[in-house]
Amino acid sequence: MSEVFTKTMARNIFYGGTTFFFLLLLALTFDTMSVLPERDHRENITDQVILGKKVWEDNNCIGCHTLLGEGAYFAPELGNVYTRFGNSTDAIKGFIMSRPKDGIPGRRSMPQFNLSDEELSAVAEFLKWTSEVNTANWPPNIQG
Amino acid sequence: MQYQSQSVAKLYFIAAIGLFLGQILFGTVIGAQYIWGDFLFPAIPFNVARMVHTNLLIVWLLFGFMGAAYYLIPEESETELFSPMLAILMFWIFLAAGAATILAYLLVPYATLAEITMNDLLPTMGREFLEQPTITKIGIVVVALSFLFNIGMTMLKGRKTVISMIMFLGLVGLAVFFLFSFVNPHNLIEDKFWWWWVVHLWVEGVWELIMGAMLAFVLIKTTGVDREIIEKWLYVIIAMSLITGLIGMGHHYYWIGTPEYWQWWGSIFSAMEPIPFFMMVLYTFNMVNQRRREHPNKVALLWAQGTAVMAFLGAGVWGFIHTLAPVNYYTHGTQVTAAHGHMAFYGAYVMIVLAMISYAMPLLRGRVANSNKAQVVEMWSFWLMTIAMVFITLFLTAAGVLQVWLQRYTDAPMGFMAVQDKLEIFYMMREIAGIIFLIGLGTYIYSFFVGGEEEATA
Amino acid sequence: MSESVAQSAIAKEPLPGDLAIWFVIMAEMLVFGVFFIVYVFVRSNNVELFNEYQLELHRIGGVINTIALITSSYFVAMGVYAIRKGDVQRTGNMLLLALLMGAIFVGVKIWEYSHVFGAGIHLSTNTFYTFYISLTFFHFMHVILGMVILAVIYSFLRKGKYTAEAHMDIETGASYWHMVDLLWVVLFPLVYIIR
Repeated sequence: MSEVFTKTMARNIFYGGTTFFFLLLLALTFDTMSVLPERDHRENITDQVILGKKVWEDNNCIGCHTLLGEGAYFAPELGNVYTRFGNSTDAIKGFIMSRPKDGIPGRRSMPQFNLSDEELSAVAEFLKWTSEVNTANWPPNIQG
Repeated sequence: MQYQSQSVAKLYFIAAIGLFLGQILFGTVIGAQYIWGDFLFPAIPFNVARMVHTNLLIVWLLFGFMGAAYYLIPEESETELFSPMLAILMFWIFLAAGAATILAYLLVPYATLAEITMNDLLPTMGREFLEQPTITKIGIVVVALSFLFNIGMTMLKGRKTVISMIMFLGLVGLAVFFLFSFVNPHNLIEDKFWWWWVVHLWVEGVWELIMGAMLAFVLIKTTGVDREIIEKWLYVIIAMSLITGLIGMGHHYYWIGTPEYWQWWGSIFSAMEPIPFFMMVLYTFNMVNQRRREHPNKVALLWAQGTAVMAFLGAGVWGFIHTLAPVNYYTHGTQVTAAHGHMAFYGAYVMIVLAMISYAMPLLRGRVANSNKAQVVEMWSFWLMTIAMVFITLFLTAAGVLQVWLQRYTDAPMGFMAVQDKLEIFYMMREIAGIIFLIGLGTYIYSFFVGGEEEATA
Repeated sequence: MSESVAQSAIAKEPLPGDLAIWFVIMAEMLVFGVFFIVYVFVRSNNVELFNEYQLELHRIGGVINTIALITSSYFVAMGVYAIRKGDVQRTGNMLLLALLMGAIFVGVKIWEYSHVFGAGIHLSTNTFYTFYISLTFFHFMHVILGMVILAVIYSFLRKGKYTAEAHMDIETGASYWHMVDLLWVVLFPLVYIIR
């Protein structure tokens, strides 16, 4: 007994299924965009936070660190570094500033980026803003 | 090789293998930096070497996909390529742009590169995998459009098959979703949301169409099974890939500020993402069992079977183990993710490109298959690389599990760097496996230079 | 004569329609099945919340929709029966009636959603609404897809594509439509009724 399985049907399933689920994805995306403002507190994105994101990007920080769990896994998570450093932007600035130019023998070390004070403050404010995003209680603890 | 213009594929394949070697060399560098933190510091910091490692992977896979398309589309369309000249021109432009970008990563501090390429005009740099200067990204779009135009025109003037349509659709999707790399809002959360429209919709979306088309092509050629059957199943498999994968995107939206309901949608759909990969294993082995001819190119078939199995393990099984939200809560952003990423990319995309090269390269060099001796060497490289990758994945998984345990799943969590020290033994073993992978790749390259009696034309 | 051929074909053929649609049906049942199980699990952990907000749903609308879909399935089945006898005219009428019933479902559902969304409720309001909206909207999209399929089949029918001997598309579409119906028959009591 041979059951019928036509190529036309298989094709219809591919195109139909793809369209269907892409539309569903768009619907969910639409909903996400409408509720994001309550979760990301975008009213707190100041010019300083914007500059901070630029400093973050221009120095490829994501190449070693994770930010909300995404990035490289070579250096600590920074989504909650503000709270880990005792809710202090100064502590963040101090850490970045004090990195030795030639590294630490035998250990991983963050490069010395020679950031200006304005840039340092900005990146710290950016990380402070990030720590306030509602991330469904992630990371599980202060260590990130 | 039936059409003269297919020979442009050869350039693309050679470049792909060359860049692959670069990728693996830098892989061993960052592997060493995980053990000896000051290795090559400050000359080549980790972030630079990692960027070279991941960007070379993407670029060489793109070379592989394009080479595969230039080989496969004329043969499927039963006509010469629309413009071989354009294909060759785009090859050199892409290679030059790619090489210049990689050299710039290595020679100039990243912030300086952002400045001289005027990133502020349209800031797109500094995001994982999308580190390329904006000008390079625009170059990629231009190359992609010319490439799509070239193969699109070829298809228009020739026979339209399911395989060429799926290949084309996958490549169009690749170009379209790459456009999201130009979306970079000031709001980090929105930035992250759209970033996945490139990354997820590439590797868990349209790339699977490209992979499916290439696999189907190699299977038709090497097994001689009826095209109708292969194409029918191709449709079903890629349908399942997109049906599960599109909403499966939710598994990236658990903890980045996006709403909680993604935990449900993402968990349910991404949990089914292994299904199409499992179907691909059944499909490949069934077709091989039903083969109607003994193709002399045995090693191409080995790669084709290997890619199905390893994609299922790497993308399917290793993806599944940390895709459910309650598990991912602890594993997100740990070495478990790294383990999955390595085997998934190798299994699904590296191996399918190597399968295609393995099938097409002898034909491009004027023979049905390489000598038995050369094939045996290539099979050695298959096993060396594949087994090395299995061990890389296992060691990274072990490192990840221990990391989760010490840093997250405990009452007295340890700090990140303290935990990293405890993982050193696994990083050491991973590096050894990485060096074996490099040896495997060397063996692979050597196999192209092994002479011996040519296989009699079958 | 043709009837007996069709009859014996039915006896031999366990799955009506294209085999490929049965892969889809299996996959859909799997997704919904997992969704239902997750719902039951989450509900059992939040019984009070679910009981409270369940009362805000329009159960009468749900009952109307259940009747609409079951009737619709009946008409589709009658359509398949008619085409097996070669009665194209009757098949067309049955498909139109099925589509009408589908349209009633869609209309009631839109009315129901306009109340829910109008009250400012959305996916993230609470866990109950996450599941209520996710499950019903996902199913709602299936109803629309099913109606598109039936409409396409109807237009092919009008073009004279189907006969008593060759009408696999109709069986394929009918199988899919029955699945959409079946899923609602599980979903409705699960989300609207069971406490």
